[in-house]
Amino acid sequence: METRVLPQARRGIARASQPWRRLALGAAIAIGLVAAAPLSAQAAAPAACAALQAKYPDWKGKTLVNAINPHTPGYETIDPKDPSKYIGFDIDLGEAIGECLGFKLTYKPVTFAALLTTLAAGQADIVISDIYATKERAKAADFITYSKVFDGVLVAKGNPKGINGINMSMCGAAAAENTGYVEVPLIQALMPECKKAGKPEPTVQLYDNNANCIQAILAGRADTYVNDVNTVDSAVKAYPDKLEKAIAVTIPYSVGIAVPKDKPKFRDAVLAALIEVQKAGTHMELLKKHGLDVNNFKEPDILTAD
Amino acid sequence: MSLFLHYLSMPYLLEGIELTLEVTALGLGGGLILGLILAGMQLSRFWLLAAIARAYTVIFRGTPLILQMVFAYDALPHIGIKLPAVLAAGLALACNEAPFIAEMLRAGVLGVDRGQVTAGQALGMTPRILMWRVIAPQAIRTMIPAFGNEAVSALKNSSLASVVAVQELTLRSTQLASSTFDFFSIFFASGLLYLVLTFAISVIQLFVEWLLDLDRAQGRERKLADYLPWRRVDLATRLELAEATAADPEPVAAEQLAETPPLALTREERTRRAATIARNNIAVEAKDLTKRYGAQKVLGGLDLTVRVGEVVALLGPSGSGKSTLLRCINHLESWDAGTVRVGGRRLGFDDDGKLLSPRAMANERATVGVGMVFQQFNLFAHLSARENIAGPLRWVHGMTRIDADRRAAELLERVGLTHRADALPRHLSGGQQQRVAIARALAPNPSVLLLDEPTSALDPELVNEVLEVIRRLAIDDGLTMIISTHQIRFADEVADRVAFLSGGVIIEEGPAHEVLTNPRNPLTARFLSVMEADKIPEAVR
Repeated sequence: METRVLPQARRGIARASQPWRRLALGAAIAIGLVAAAPLSAQAAAPAACAALQAKYPDWKGKTLVNAINPHTPGYETIDPKDPSKYIGFDIDLGEAIGECLGFKLTYKPVTFAALLTTLAAGQADIVISDIYATKERAKAADFITYSKVFDGVLVAKGNPKGINGINMSMCGAAAAENTGYVEVPLIQALMPECKKAGKPEPTVQLYDNNANCIQAILAGRADTYVNDVNTVDSAVKAYPDKLEKAIAVTIPYSVGIAVPKDKPKFRDAVLAALIEVQKAGTHMELLKKHGLDVNNFKEPDILTAD
Repeated sequence: MSLFLHYLSMPYLLEGIELTLEVTALGLGGGLILGLILAGMQLSRFWLLAAIARAYTVIFRGTPLILQMVFAYDALPHIGIKLPAVLAAGLALACNEAPFIAEMLRAGVLGVDRGQVTAGQALGMTPRILMWRVIAPQAIRTMIPAFGNEAVSALKNSSLASVVAVQELTLRSTQLASSTFDFFSIFFASGLLYLVLTFAISVIQLFVEWLLDLDRAQGRERKLADYLPWRRVDLATRLELAEATAADPEPVAAEQLAETPPLALTREERTRRAATIARNNIAVEAKDLTKRYGAQKVLGGLDLTVRVGEVVALLGPSGSGKSTLLRCINHLESWDAGTVRVGGRRLGFDDDGKLLSPRAMANERATVGVGMVFQQFNLFAHLSARENIAGPLRWVHGMTRIDADRRAAELLERVGLTHRADALPRHLSGGQQQRVAIARALAPNPSVLLLDEPTSALDPELVNEVLEVIRRLAIDDGLTMIISTHQIRFADEVADRVAFLSGGVIIEEGPAHEVLTNPRNPLTARFLSVMEADKIPEAVR
């Protein structure tokens, strides 16, 4: 099987200083906007897409299944106004890519941990669901990376435990996380360090989706929830009296589109289409439309297992 | 509150109910089919089938449903079976429900009185007919509450289909909660929707229980129970059933039985009878019959010959082998050595002496015609008196409903129970039940009637009505009968010959009156004197 690991795959990681405050409005606004504003994303250049469809004709006119974990406001959730639809940046981006290659998408909502198994089982054709592309995950699927990762640290109002990142300030804290999230091993890695420093170890509570993690903090069961900054912002927006974002942290990953390992041709087609979508400015437009930080923008790379 | 109502009436959530019900229905329906197969395998006489079913039960009852869901959804595609999400979830739920339903079915089947099963076998019912006509209808009634439980649990378990992307109620609720942050309003609303569904199941369960209630003695409309293939009830008489119970001392029967001939035959008649019988063919012949239960010997090389028209009474202490001998004659029980012939045929063996299958044996019992009456009556509890008699005629002997009903009416009249034709066995007194049981055994015109302590379970005042019926069979009909009994006086009156059993062999036999009045074996003498201390024979002439 063909594998290409581009040097950029690991780049763009150490850019921590972001204008986080600007994101405070977050996706909750986006949710409102999306329903009101007509879809403004421009289609990618018709000529280039026509050429791609000629080069990769296998998916033209097809309807593919996109497995998503629709619990991430701004990226993918159901539309509260019309729950039969999904909305968010990932949804629009996927459809822009599909439009360029000539396929349509339907959605299959699964738990986060089941995204890649669903893909591997052939129950889905593609996963565009704010999933971080890691070497570990690349054993299960090939990734086309498209976004940088900025995490926020969600805490109770007033940050009673004084948590300021995935660091020694988390010793003794209870962290809520989603099963399968990359933050889980990062927090687990703190355990021996805290012990060495003579402090109590942090504990990790695993849940099924963002809503449950946020509820864990609201219920006083967990002290913090580290996740995509946009998710954190929308939680703060929803419960401004009870929650706050302590700080933003950098996570050394990129967000990626996952495709089956045994379909390198499809992977290449999606990569090519994403490049066209970016060239046309659609990617940037969608970030703005959904109230996401334009600094998330990243030129695509491919990440495979080796 | 308004948010709660908003979500409660939200079409998006309500549509989720449809998928919830689909998965539940697939799970329950599939589970029932699989459960039937599993229960059948577990009850099978082939040990391999039973072992496979056991293994399946261990695996699917012992692993979490959520794993089975993921397996059906994500693992099966790797071997080329890619089911849509709803089907995959339904399959997993069905596979998971099956062992539970199978255990329910098995408990229901095993819960049916063994005596009724034996009675069905004795009537020549094949295992299939027995299951369908006797066991299933009674088992189903007892299983309905358990099945209601299972349905509620399946409905709740269907929420696990959310892990395999089935857009049912739970998945819709969690997605909605994620996009709106109205966590509690949404989950209270979906919780209430689940409650409504489970409540509906409870209502259905109670309704079905009510429909199948045999004692429900009201209403003009025909009940579901009456449409079931195993049950016909004359509605016109239903109303009296509950009142006309055993408390009714039954004047009709008393007057019918009053016109009996004198209690016993005179000595001359006996001699004449004996001479006739001696010329008759052999009806039943047991040779060197041996049987043990483990270390205990039940039959020790027993020989017995009964001629056509002869009435033989088997006497002897409990455990002497009387019942076992009777049960061997129609092959309800197997034995270790020796032969039994009924009408010259080795019942239960083919021409080469090989044991027949249960089905073939049932058919042979029906053709050879060995009726049997049991100590505990063993009437089919869910059938009316008439149906107890007519049913087997239709199912085993292929009689039409009209003919079978006519025959049943005829026999009920003979045992003086025409007025109780529509009563259920539990509404009859012991004596009445035993009379129905005798009528049932006589219905197919058996060549031999075996009676296993027919009066032992009866209250003393009810003994006579049953003995009277048997007496008339012997005297009026000339039916060949083998009766095990403790009623010395009755044996003397009715039997041509008595055989005294002890330790699995016949230690003394001979003309009834002779043996009973003048026993030669000291064991016989002692047994008789003990029995006579209770009851003094008085009416023998």
